[in-house]
Amino acid sequence: MRANQPLVLALPKGRILKDVAPMLAQVGIAPEPAFDDPDARQLRFKTNIQGLSIIRVRSFDVATFVAFGAAHLGVAGNDVLMEFDYAELYAPVDLNIGHCHIAVAEPRDMVGRDDPSQWSHIRVATKYPEITKRHFAARGVQAECIKLNGAMELAPTLGLCRRIVDLVSSGATLRENGLVEVEKIADITSCLIVNRAALKTRPAEIQPWIQKFQEVADAA
Amino acid sequence: MLPDGLRDGLPPDAAHEAEIVTRLLASFARYGYARVAPPLVEFEDTLLDGAAATIANATFRLMDPVSQRMMGVRADMTFQIARIATTRLAKLPRPLRLAYAGQVLRVRGSQLRPEREFRQAGVELIGSAAPTADAEIISLAASALRNAGVSDISVDINLPTLVPNLCRALSIGDSEMGSLRAALDRKDAVAVASFERGAALFARLLEATGPAADALAVLNEMDLPEEAAAERTQLSEVVRLVQTDSPEVMITIDPVEHRGFEYHSGLSFTLFARGVRGEIGRGGRYIAGDAESATGFSLFLDSVLRAVPGPELPMRVFLPHGVKPQAAAGLREKGLIAVAGLMPADDDTLEARRLGCTHIYRGGRAVALDEDQGS
Repeated sequence: MRANQPLVLALPKGRILKDVAPMLAQVGIAPEPAFDDPDARQLRFKTNIQGLSIIRVRSFDVATFVAFGAAHLGVAGNDVLMEFDYAELYAPVDLNIGHCHIAVAEPRDMVGRDDPSQWSHIRVATKYPEITKRHFAARGVQAECIKLNGAMELAPTLGLCRRIVDLVSSGATLRENGLVEVEKIADITSCLIVNRAALKTRPAEIQPWIQKFQEVADAA
Repeated sequence: MLPDGLRDGLPPDAAHEAEIVTRLLASFARYGYARVAPPLVEFEDTLLDGAAATIANATFRLMDPVSQRMMGVRADMTFQIARIATTRLAKLPRPLRLAYAGQVLRVRGSQLRPEREFRQAGVELIGSAAPTADAEIISLAASALRNAGVSDISVDINLPTLVPNLCRALSIGDSEMGSLRAALDRKDAVAVASFERGAALFARLLEATGPAADALAVLNEMDLPEEAAAERTQLSEVVRLVQTDSPEVMITIDPVEHRGFEYHSGLSFTLFARGVRGEIGRGGRYIAGDAESATGFSLFLDSVLRAVPGPELPMRVFLPHGVKPQAAAGLREKGLIAVAGLMPADDDTLEARRLGCTHIYRGGRAVALDEDQGS
């Protein structure tokens, strides 16, 4: 056996990170102080555990790092998993955090004025072109997606397109922009994800982490 | 520019790949597997017959201008070997052991392996359903990889027919089974628990994944219907045999893995090497021709190459212009590479370096360039 190579845990920046932090403490991972400093430029952090480091990347990139084996474990929303559908990812634990849902929304004054059963083609602004296309294709509608990385709610107001597909948690942002949710696509929660080859070749190191996260998620 | 997923093999990598293929084939030969070489292109109806229909979507087609029939470029050599075994070699005694190596072409690469053309090397063992056949194939894969320089090999043993068997026993329909398999493939415990029938059973199966001893312990405690229990018996026998034959190989079990085993009819496996992303080969049981039980594996050379140490640079001797041909012939007879200077050079040492040589011929012998004092 080769000397132990370090394990890398990839965590998403932003919203979900706040919810993950207490879970890290519960499974016994304490990142170095710079991790909690939002201004730190550092991207990779040591932890109290020898041979385990943490990287902090954008939520979509967590899935990419883990799928390609650059990170071995990660935390990602199932919105990201649905969008990419990487065959090399396992999602063994529902961490039960970061709850929201992904939905179709349109301007309030449009609601009730058109009949979705007559659509053959619609144009949608979204961060999730694959989920959107699949959702509409399932009922025979071709969705032309305009890929945006944020501020989706602006698109209908400024005439970029009339509908958006986005994450909704309280619905406040939609309301403030004069939009109404018309259709829910899926519920979103965050999962612990694991690289397939890493789990197969290093089960003795990775399985215990899966178990610990499972216990913490069950207890919450 | 070349099309996506296609590339030129350059020195020293091209020679390195050929060397690895030679070593793999030598290992296969030592177990009694005889080499066959099917053509690159075949008529579509024979190339994609039977179980091979599962790779129809990955196959490039072209029209044969002579016969005016559609042909396909092979996307996987396994089916060609099975065709040869069950037609031209149908009368040879069983079990029949065949080996092969060659290029395959696929319409699409995967995210992890964008290559559309790569080399496959493998074996097929046709006409035996015994657990000893499964064990021989797994041990051979491991020993061939080891001889080629791959260390820390692990084998994940899968039972792609177990879930369909259990679904039949529980009268779960095809469409529900489809979504169940998707959830199992992802190891998504939450989605598995949400199924109405068999949720507890399949959740338990998910727990039966991991190192062989632990997984078998969980499986043995489970109350399985007859067919599934028979698969479990075969599995534990194969694990025992492989552990005896190749104790250094790490064995993990994953009874629910299904992706990539669309045509398999029994015990199958995936090969991994520590630190290499993705799988380096896979194999398992299938039906050759109409009814012959067969098993085999194929290794993906692009991935195997990521798992072996880089090529060792061979000794390459520069012969300054004017060295006698007999001296050069002497070096070449000893198996060394001797590169002749075609024109007189101002500085022979520089010229040797420029041509990628490691040594230079001085005063009747090859001197390492680092130690060369000039002439």
